[in-house]
Amino acid sequence: MSVKHGLLALLAEEPMGVYRLRKEFEARTGGSWPVNIGQVYSTMQRLERDGLVVKAAQQDEDVELYEPTESGRAEAAAWWRTPVARGEVGRDELVIKLALAVSAAGVDVCDIVQAQRSETMRAMRDFTRLKGQVPAPGEPITSPELAWSLVLDHHTFTAEAEVRWLDHIEASVARAVLTPSRMETMDRHEAEVPR
Amino acid sequence: MSDPVLLTLEGVRRVHGSGAREVVALDGVDLTVRLGELVAVMGPSGSGKSTLLNVAGGLDTPTSGTVTIAGDVLSEMDAKGRAALRRKRIGYVFQDFNLIPALTAAENVSLPRELDGVPARKARTEAKAALAEVGLEKQARRFPDELSGGQQQRVAIARALVGPRRLVLADEPTGALDSVTGEAVMRVLRARVDAGAAGLLVTHEPRFAAWADRTIFLRDGKVVDSTGTDEPETLLADSVKGA
Repeated sequence: MSVKHGLLALLAEEPMGVYRLRKEFEARTGGSWPVNIGQVYSTMQRLERDGLVVKAAQQDEDVELYEPTESGRAEAAAWWRTPVARGEVGRDELVIKLALAVSAAGVDVCDIVQAQRSETMRAMRDFTRLKGQVPAPGEPITSPELAWSLVLDHHTFTAEAEVRWLDHIEASVARAVLTPSRMETMDRHEAEVPR
Repeated sequence: MSDPVLLTLEGVRRVHGSGAREVVALDGVDLTVRLGELVAVMGPSGSGKSTLLNVAGGLDTPTSGTVTIAGDVLSEMDAKGRAALRRKRIGYVFQDFNLIPALTAAENVSLPRELDGVPARKARTEAKAALAEVGLEKQARRFPDELSGGQQQRVAIARALVGPRRLVLADEPTGALDSVTGEAVMRVLRARVDAGAAGLLVTHEPRFAAWADRTIFLRDGKVVDSTGTDEPETLLADSVKGA
């Protein structure tokens, strides 16, 4: 994904200039993705080069407006339809730390789990405090407020998934009946034979 | 000056059975909950969460250690005194709402006050005010089965804190509710605590525990971690806004 598709989707609604595009983009993503004006401007230049937008036929007096071409509209429509792929897995520091901790000598996995859980809960309380400032479910709400609220929910649910995973680690480690792995039983030199 | 303490547990130990069958449900738990504070209790099944709630509410007696509610030490009181304290000082909120089906929302809320000996008319006025606090003044005359799950739980919160009650003990209050309704209930609980109560909340759902000021984690009857009340605005600047 890129800012490119988000901007293209906004232009599909109506022609806009770079300042308005930036404002709309930030407001409607709940302020979760700040973009600078230079980024919006250079994105418009690239989209124009690729034939996805053109300068609008009907121009404002002092602002240059862009509108999508036929293929730009098709690109935006395709973006809405295409599910977002999961990011690259396994590069998360916490995952690496806990995976190593399970076999590391002198490291208590439960201590690491506990410290991390406290930290993640603290983060969740921060998100929740901000959530408390937007209208409650069922109360009147503006669409930027709703967007911001849903972005906060995303952070909360992601953190919650991490806490659940930590609970699961704690329970799994407590119940595990560990046997020596092949690495541990092999002769140290044998294990280090170059590939 | 810090807010007054409503609930204190000092060195609380609760042992079920004896000899080989002895089970230590709580093992030296210390806990303080002040007015305006909501504390979440988390931990795996069998970690002692329910026992903690029962002991804190005077429904169960610790094997050793002391429980103090609004200045009264439970172990120094007889059964009758404890029952009176429980009735007048503590409100309970359960997963399944536990409203009386044959009574309206207002009657459910006024009942504890009538049991307190308050004249019916005054009890009804207080119940109406308590329902207004949870946003249900218009539903006062409805019966529980005419209310949604979230509304029933809000009635239960109103009932728990009607009159002089300042301590609410909530056992999985969002357990029977969907995510959005659960959030609405937590907002109400949070608001009621902020308005002048103290709460102990048992939950296994981290996102609802996040409405509390802090979380204590129990494992095998011990508090293994107690996340301190944190400084606001610590994290969001970089992690949300800047990503």
